Amino acid sequence: MNQEKIIEIKNLTKMYGNLVAVKDLDLTVYKGEIMGFLGPNGAGKTTTLRSCLALLAKTAGEITIFGLDSHRDAVAIRKQTGYLPGDFGLIPSIKVSSYLKYLLSLNECNSTKKMVSLAERLKLDLNRKTNELSKGNKQKVGIIQALMADQNLIIMDEPTSSLDPLMQQEFYRILREEEKQGKTIFMASHILAEVEKICDRVAIIRKGQLKVVEEIQVLQEKTGKVLEVEFSDPVTIDELKLEGVSEIYQDNGKFILTIHENLDRVIEAVSNHRILNMSLKTYSLEQLFLKYYAEEDSERDDA
Amino acid sequence: MMVGRIAYMELRTGLKGLLIFGFLVLIVSAGMPLIFPTYRDSLIEELEGANKVNLELPEEQGGNITLSWEPLETATSYMVLEDNRSSMVTAKIKYMGEETSITFEKDFEEKRYYAVTAQLNETSDLVLIGIAATEKGKDPFQELMQNPAYAGFTGGRNISMLEAKGFITLEFFSWWWMLAGLFIAYLSVSAIASDFENKRMDVMLSTPISRRRYLLEKFSAMSVIALFIILVAIGGLTGGLANINALHEFSAEAVFLSLIGCLPFLMVIAAVGMLTAVLFQKVRVGMGITFAFVFAEFFLYTFGNFSKSLEWMKTISIFNYWDYSSVIIDDLFKTVDFIILTVLAIVLLIIGIWVFKKKDIPM
Repeated sequence: MNQEKIIEIKNLTKMYGNLVAVKDLDLTVYKGEIMGFLGPNGAGKTTTLRSCLALLAKTAGEITIFGLDSHRDAVAIRKQTGYLPGDFGLIPSIKVSSYLKYLLSLNECNSTKKMVSLAERLKLDLNRKTNELSKGNKQKVGIIQALMADQNLIIMDEPTSSLDPLMQQEFYRILREEEKQGKTIFMASHILAEVEKICDRVAIIRKGQLKVVEEIQVLQEKTGKVLEVEFSDPVTIDELKLEGVSEIYQDNGKFILTIHENLDRVIEAVSNHRILNMSLKTYSLEQLFLKYYAEEDSERDDA
Repeated sequence: MMVGRIAYMELRTGLKGLLIFGFLVLIVSAGMPLIFPTYRDSLIEELEGANKVNLELPEEQGGNITLSWEPLETATSYMVLEDNRSSMVTAKIKYMGEETSITFEKDFEEKRYYAVTAQLNETSDLVLIGIAATEKGKDPFQELMQNPAYAGFTGGRNISMLEAKGFITLEFFSWWWMLAGLFIAYLSVSAIASDFENKRMDVMLSTPISRRRYLLEKFSAMSVIALFIILVAIGGLTGGLANINALHEFSAEAVFLSLIGCLPFLMVIAAVGMLTAVLFQKVRVGMGITFAFVFAEFFLYTFGNFSKSLEWMKTISIFNYWDYSSVIIDDLFKTVDFIILTVLAIVLLIIGIWVFKKKDIPM
């Protein structure tokens, strides 16, 4: 890719005492893409994001954002960066609109237009007091404050947590619009469906180390199709070990086959039996994700 | 202008508390002079009571002392206590009986005090008739002032409680530091530590606000608050003194200079509060340490006044550099002290910024 690099992380290591939170992480986020950052809790997603914003001091490595050093030029970077933390508090007992206007002024932005339109789309009443908000509404305030100053880079940590499904959909639409406007979005999540749905690329992290960085589409093509089939007549697992089937296992009487090629022949072989139920799916990220973590469990490299 | 937004927000969110505290300061500062005339009258009455006991000293060394007192009708017997301290804490019984006069040999050099008490008919209570001493010429309150425990408040000066000056110095200024100092300590710690505790720091520091600017703006807000409560106290005290027609002996200018001297004093406390807040990032811990700092500084100052050999303790106490008595009693505003405290506050603030820049923001 010869696109412009917005975030370039090189050999990032962050230790808390003896605990390694992130180790030798390399990651590049390009202009105009939505990069999903996937991993279970405690994998180092938040640590990586917060290191980008200089909220944490790196133990080793280098982070360059907009070509600027993440620590030395932190203030210049933050002028162009919106951030939604995974957990945050509001100034209590003031109106949501006052709070957001305050943050707008700190972000050196004079226009409240985007703030108002985002609030309308997410159905947030700006006249409410900050200490009277539900969890979901508080999250909306967080989303609005990250986007309202119209900055070029948006870093978000679990943005859809505590949003209801309707609001999640609206949020995805908003993100896609941001992407169309050329914004770069770096988003940590543990919701696989979400990343699969809206991200262009995904980086999977586990135990502070990067496992995979790939385009979602490529990842899905690589991993093939999944056929789930249930028969009413007895079938042995060996009968289905055909060419092109990379993986097969039985679960509750169902056969689950991962197919990379020769889909037509596999279907032919399957149709020789009496089929009770059958579904064909694209290998979902979830399975991929679980595969990586199953590997982790079997490795048992840590006590 | 973007500058001052954080300071403004700090003042705005704390306005209600500040107004309540300001009202309290107004009541204390304006009310204190109003109490004074009543206090003075009762004090004079008590001082006259001391004349009920008469002590005659011998003309030459080794002669006899004669102690006599006015008899009480209801008394069945009298008791005389002797001590070399006016507080009578180590007193011995000198006499018990029905006489109203005793004579005894002066076989000592130091100053001694005699307290005469009466045993009443109906009850077992003792009533104090009065106190006399072998050396005269000072009123008992001046002696009290020389007591090291009080010298801390006055810098060892002679202060008369019969004057508004003395009364305000002891009753208002000696407690003002606690009122204003602890208020500023609380505000400065919570202004920063509560941003940590309530997880507001991530959003704050994702805006183009540097950590230095964040602390400077919070410090400015503290300066405004400190100045506000000082001005309220100046207004209250001046108004109260005018009300009792005492401005001729305690001028508005003296009120202003003695209180404004505590501005850098409060700013040092604010800087310490902010430093502990960025170090420990918890309101309770920061507050505990900052309160301890204020009290430790106070004790250093009072210990420093106890004796010459402990005098060095004074020099490391911030109380030594806010000498309100100097303005009130000696008419002298110590500009150098004002500058010393200002510089100290700035140095502590710079250390706070340096520490804050090094620290991780906890999640």
